Amino acid sequence: MDSFKQAFDLLFSLDQELLQILGVTLRMSFFSTTISCLLGLPLGALLGTRHFRGKAFLKKTIHTLMGLPPVVAGLFVYALFTHYGPFGRLNMLFTVRVMVVAQCLLILPVVTGLTASFLEKGAVPMIETAKGMGLSRRKVLFLCLSENRASLLSVVLNAFGRSIAEVGAVSIVGGNIQWKTRVMTTAIMLETNKGRFSFALALGIILLLVAFVVNVAASWIVKEEARDV
Amino acid sequence: MFEVRNLKKVYRERVVLEIEHLSLPQGETLALAGANGSGKTTLLRILAGNLKPTEGETRTAPPVLCLPQRCYAFRGTVLDNVLLGARDKKDEALALLEETELLALKDKKAASLSGGELQKLAACRLLVSPCKLLLLDEPTSACDAAGTKLVLSLLSRYREKTGCTVVLSTHTPAVATQAANRLVILNNGKIEADGDPQTVLRAPESDWAKEFIAGWRI
Repeated sequence: MDSFKQAFDLLFSLDQELLQILGVTLRMSFFSTTISCLLGLPLGALLGTRHFRGKAFLKKTIHTLMGLPPVVAGLFVYALFTHYGPFGRLNMLFTVRVMVVAQCLLILPVVTGLTASFLEKGAVPMIETAKGMGLSRRKVLFLCLSENRASLLSVVLNAFGRSIAEVGAVSIVGGNIQWKTRVMTTAIMLETNKGRFSFALALGIILLLVAFVVNVAASWIVKEEARDV
Repeated sequence: MFEVRNLKKVYRERVVLEIEHLSLPQGETLALAGANGSGKTTLLRILAGNLKPTEGETRTAPPVLCLPQRCYAFRGTVLDNVLLGARDKKDEALALLEETELLALKDKKAASLSGGELQKLAACRLLVSPCKLLLLDEPTSACDAAGTKLVLSLLSRYREKTGCTVVLSTHTPAVATQAANRLVILNNGKIEADGDPQTVLRAPESDWAKEFIAGWRI
């Protein structure tokens, strides 16, 4: 109960550092989810609805990457953006931008794989109907995404959930720098290591609240969508 | 028109379609009949470009429109569905809905329609646009007698207006005789009988066709 009280005290006291951590967390999760979805939804749609050579291998690769350990993704991105790495000149290491890159590496396969699975199961009759009506490829793809938006929204939520809860990759490439790259998960880890369990728990409760609010909003959208069918 | 030559489709080492030659001149209507799994849908899907043949060549005159066996209701109202491929043809869409007795349902959600109503809607959705080749996979399978009559008369008017070639598959002899001027019966992917529907039904060429037609009439 103390933790709950501390969580609400922290929230309502408008602690500047907490707000900054919350801001970085939401910014990072928003951009990594958006970028991953912008790339992953059309890619997943292509993978789920088209037949091409090497599709089985690509699917296996994506399924493997869906389980990519975050620390491995972090290490890989760190190697790319470190001073001696191929992108070292960009000076992006220990910034929110590189944290977004690392998260995209983790989330993109999830979005692509889940989208493909959803569409593979239910989209074929819809696509054949749309193609049969003489609609253009672009319109068929748009319809495919639009008709399955409730399922795809759950893909987006899954991506956001993975992004906001991730700690391994962001701590490696972000460095957990105070007032700069510290996010909720890395702050919880730090506070736990310092022995401030109540404070860490309070941060955890705030993180859960954020996830809860996003999920409630999404459920409401899905409900409205279902009413609109 | 359409023409297929040396067409073969193999699924996991099983030959599901094998047609040496089949063609249909512009403006004619061909009915495909045969037991389940005889290759009707496979042939239509190949002609529609939804399936690649294992061997052989196909020639079709574009634009090709196709009504798949499983009707799909898109989001939105019945009218939204008909206008999906032809935003600027509201008058034609309303006329088609009236002809198929769906006008009263035009503002209802398409997903709430019954199977037969959905099949009529699917026909309207397709026939609002002109084409050279029209492919229909069991277009009246969910319709009652009155609904079948409506769809067939709609199809007949569309054919007269556009001069298109029609290929339809059916399990109903009456549909074949009323809608088509040629009937092809498939058996295990091969053409078993081919000709004028009345002639094929009255005097089948092979014992298998005779047996199939006897069962078909029941």
